[in-house]
Amino acid sequence: MLRYVTRRAAGWFLVIAVATNATYFLASSFLDPRSNFKELRPVRTDEQVSRALAPYNLDPHEPLLHRWWDWLSGVVLRFDWGRSPVGVEVNGEIGHRSLVSAQLVIGATLLSVVVGVALAVHTASRQYGWRDRAAQALSMALFNVPVSVAALALVLLAIRLNEQAGWHFLYVAGERSPDVEGFWATLGDRAAHLVLPTLTLTLTGYVGHHLTQRSLLLDVIGSDFVRTARATGLTRAQAIRRHALRTALIPTAQSVAFSIPAVFTGAVLTETVFGWNGMGQYFVQTINKNDVHGTVATAAFAAALTAIGAILADITTVLLDPRVRVS
Amino acid sequence: MTLAPARPTGPENPGPGPERPGPENPGPGSGPGPARPAPVLSVRDLRVSFPSEQGPVQAVRGVDFDLLPGRTLGIVGESGSGKSATALALMGLLPPAAHLEGRILLGGRDLAAMDDTRLARIRGKDIGMVFQDPMSALTPVLSVGRLLSQALRVHQDLSRKDAWEQAVQLLDLVGIPDPRERAKAFPHEFSGGMRQRVVIALAIANKPSVLVADEPTTALDVTVQAQILEVLRLAQRESGAALVLITHDLGVVAGHADDVAVMYAGRIVEHAGVDELFARPTMPYTARLLAAVPTAGSGVQRPLLPIAGEPPSPVALPAGCAFAPRCAVARDVCRTTEPDLTAPAGRPGRVACHRAQEIADGTLDPAGPAGSAVALTPDRAAARRTPGEVVLRVEDLVKTFPVTRGALLKRRTGTLHAVNGVGFEVRAGETLALVGESGSGKTTTLREVLRLRAPEGGRIEVAGTDVATLRSAAQVRELRSEVQIVLQDPTDALDPRLTVFDLLAEPLRAAGADRTAVRSRIPRLLDLVGLDRAVGDRFPAALSGGQRQRVGIARALAREPRLLVLDEPLSALDVSVQAEIVNLLVRLKRELALAYLVVAHDLAVVRYFSDRIAVMYLGHIVESGATEEIFARPRHPYTRALLSAVPLPDPQRERRRERIVLRGEQPSAARLPAGCVFVDRCPLHREADESVRTRCRTERPSTVGAPDGSDHRYACHAL
Repeated sequence: MLRYVTRRAAGWFLVIAVATNATYFLASSFLDPRSNFKELRPVRTDEQVSRALAPYNLDPHEPLLHRWWDWLSGVVLRFDWGRSPVGVEVNGEIGHRSLVSAQLVIGATLLSVVVGVALAVHTASRQYGWRDRAAQALSMALFNVPVSVAALALVLLAIRLNEQAGWHFLYVAGERSPDVEGFWATLGDRAAHLVLPTLTLTLTGYVGHHLTQRSLLLDVIGSDFVRTARATGLTRAQAIRRHALRTALIPTAQSVAFSIPAVFTGAVLTETVFGWNGMGQYFVQTINKNDVHGTVATAAFAAALTAIGAILADITTVLLDPRVRVS
Repeated sequence: MTLAPARPTGPENPGPGPERPGPENPGPGSGPGPARPAPVLSVRDLRVSFPSEQGPVQAVRGVDFDLLPGRTLGIVGESGSGKSATALALMGLLPPAAHLEGRILLGGRDLAAMDDTRLARIRGKDIGMVFQDPMSALTPVLSVGRLLSQALRVHQDLSRKDAWEQAVQLLDLVGIPDPRERAKAFPHEFSGGMRQRVVIALAIANKPSVLVADEPTTALDVTVQAQILEVLRLAQRESGAALVLITHDLGVVAGHADDVAVMYAGRIVEHAGVDELFARPTMPYTARLLAAVPTAGSGVQRPLLPIAGEPPSPVALPAGCAFAPRCAVARDVCRTTEPDLTAPAGRPGRVACHRAQEIADGTLDPAGPAGSAVALTPDRAAARRTPGEVVLRVEDLVKTFPVTRGALLKRRTGTLHAVNGVGFEVRAGETLALVGESGSGKTTTLREVLRLRAPEGGRIEVAGTDVATLRSAAQVRELRSEVQIVLQDPTDALDPRLTVFDLLAEPLRAAGADRTAVRSRIPRLLDLVGLDRAVGDRFPAALSGGQRQRVGIARALAREPRLLVLDEPLSALDVSVQAEIVNLLVRLKRELALAYLVVAHDLAVVRYFSDRIAVMYLGHIVESGATEEIFARPRHPYTRALLSAVPLPDPQRERRRERIVLRGEQPSAARLPAGCVFVDRCPLHREADESVRTRCRTERPSTVGAPDGSDHRYACHAL
């Protein structure tokens, strides 16, 4: 197993290296940091712009291959992913923002899976019953609500609740309060700030798990082995949980593992509405500001997450399904 | 002569089996005897219906029976007779949409009135079930030890360790070798027979007082079936349980049941002791069923009498007796009033027939006089007189498959020898049957013949053309019309979105026939296979199983082939319909001088249907010869075991006959033994002297002819 994972990881490392370098060339040819200076008054000369960008290895007069080599040696030797056109270190930005995103994404993903699968088990055992139909209708409705609408609705609701309670307990913006001291107080403050964004991501994220897991379960519920399990003395609900779900979870586990990179960099709208400085925002900002190094680093980050997701998917499959044995 | 189905002994000779009941211990329902033990299970007026688009389907319509402790009740019936719905109702495992009425009394409690939670406490503890298909009956992601210990812990307060220990003991009891190690294995690591043993272990884990087995051996090979029936008997003895054995196989019932209930269209139509029922069937349906079932047993071959028509659809039952439309002795009253299940005077058991008394008195033959008119006696003498030209010649055929490992990077780790040096000939007007268990290479051989390409090794000659010499696609297409196939399951083999006309027109159009040719040919094709011309407008879904198989045969005949390849052509059909298709195929062969290459696992059917037999084991033909010769004088130990494993639909002979139960199962064709492929399971090898044993181990036996100079050939060192 360990050998297999190492082999897979090596393969993925190669893929990430190729993809990242390809992104470097693409980003360098599409993103032009010089245009950042166009709006500035007095108008900067070409000379001045070049001199401003040169310290950050972004001087367009330098040959591309040269710049690439400098960038690559920085990454390989010092793990320095470069700087933005205004000199901000990419390493610092990503380090900080990935933690912010992780807070947001990990909780929301776990909640979405738990809520989605639990609802799927509940409704699949009662196929075409009123609870199944109601849950289905709710999920379909939520499926069609854009994230920004859901987030704003929650914000409005939270403000109303805060007013009613006369106590500011739901935070609608930011990832923390500036003036909190002490470990427990910080933890509580962070958690309070997390409630609404997590709720937004969960409400829009659980739907997929509910609907796919429900149909996966329905395929399995009628199978002979569930009937055998019931014949040994399990109720229908027990047989579904212990025998059908275990088998039907395999595809869900895989899709969750693969969706991790997408949620990390894809929560732009939620981050924007709630004023969180996460990876999603960074991704958009770097492109807007012609930040070549930031864009490349974000792409590399997403690629690494994809690799981790894929390896996690393999591991969960092997754990859940004894029929798949790695050699 | 009127029809006399299977009457080997008189009623004075009830067959004194050790724990068998004679007529003095009558079937239930014939009045309370003084010393009759209390039944463990009583079913009263059980009714099950399912909603459907055409209205409620009445699957079970008023079933009553009592099951006595330690006894076996066989429930026989064709598909749609309601036997499986009865089984599921007993277990409380009917789908939620089903509607259940009546009473199911087990130990004083009425199971029919319980909800799922209360039923779950009884399921597995007081009543256990063995299911039909062991391949899908076990949860694939849990080890068998875990499945068993879970089943134990549902009802018993056991620690994980104790439960595992008991699970290992149970696996040992049902005959799983090396149970301690195998308990950790997952279902996919077991063969079908071994999985069915695990299913039986699950059913008896908590020592229930009633076992329900729903077609427990239908999905298994015949030698494995014999083993599983033994295990079931053992399990029953160990747990002292009463057994409800549901099957369509009259042979299994004859050998294993004490009482038999025959079901037809959702009702029990006859219920009697097994000897009584087989010796003197009273209900016309029972009588006709016994006459329609082929037997593989030795002795005089009796003709096979099909029952006209097909079982009624459960959504549109006739007004009177459900069997009346197919019955030879039906009267007007039979068509208007449904008879009750009553005991005719002077007979033990119960019958639902208006004319039961006449039949019981012996004044009326239940099968009626019409039966013998369409009797089929295989016309083997005629076939032997006119040996046609060779239509298919296979010489030294070899087919291997690579065995690969690894999910991502496939590495070849071995070779599976599916077919190894197989050779045979089929002549026009002749049927050759390839028989053997699954994995013996029968189907691979068929596929190689149908492929019409040069085989991996050996030679295939179709209608005088060596397929290796075909150069162009046009040549292949031309030869393709000489070889056609009839598939196993007619429901899957016909495109549900094409009408019968289009289905039959397709091969004709592919051959380039124009509209008028197609239009004139299709009615003649339908006539040929005995279908009404109006069937042409219908879709396969509107046809019955037998009609669909006729369409399948008509489609195969559309291009006027000389060789018809039949892959298990009868195994998806009910017994009463099977006989008609056998008759049809035999007639077509004679009229059109066809050559048949048949793959079948049901040896009894093969006997009625083929002129010659080739017995395959692990990719080799171990014995071949004329059908009657093989059945009368089987030489190879595998053939003998195979024939002895087929249950006979006759309780007397079934109990008396000597059975050779093979040990183990067919090994994988990826690791062929160096010598004889049968050596590991061979009973002769074990008894042979040292020099022969060495030859069996080291040298593959060559095929030799029997001393009488016939074409009976076999490959064995020990003979």
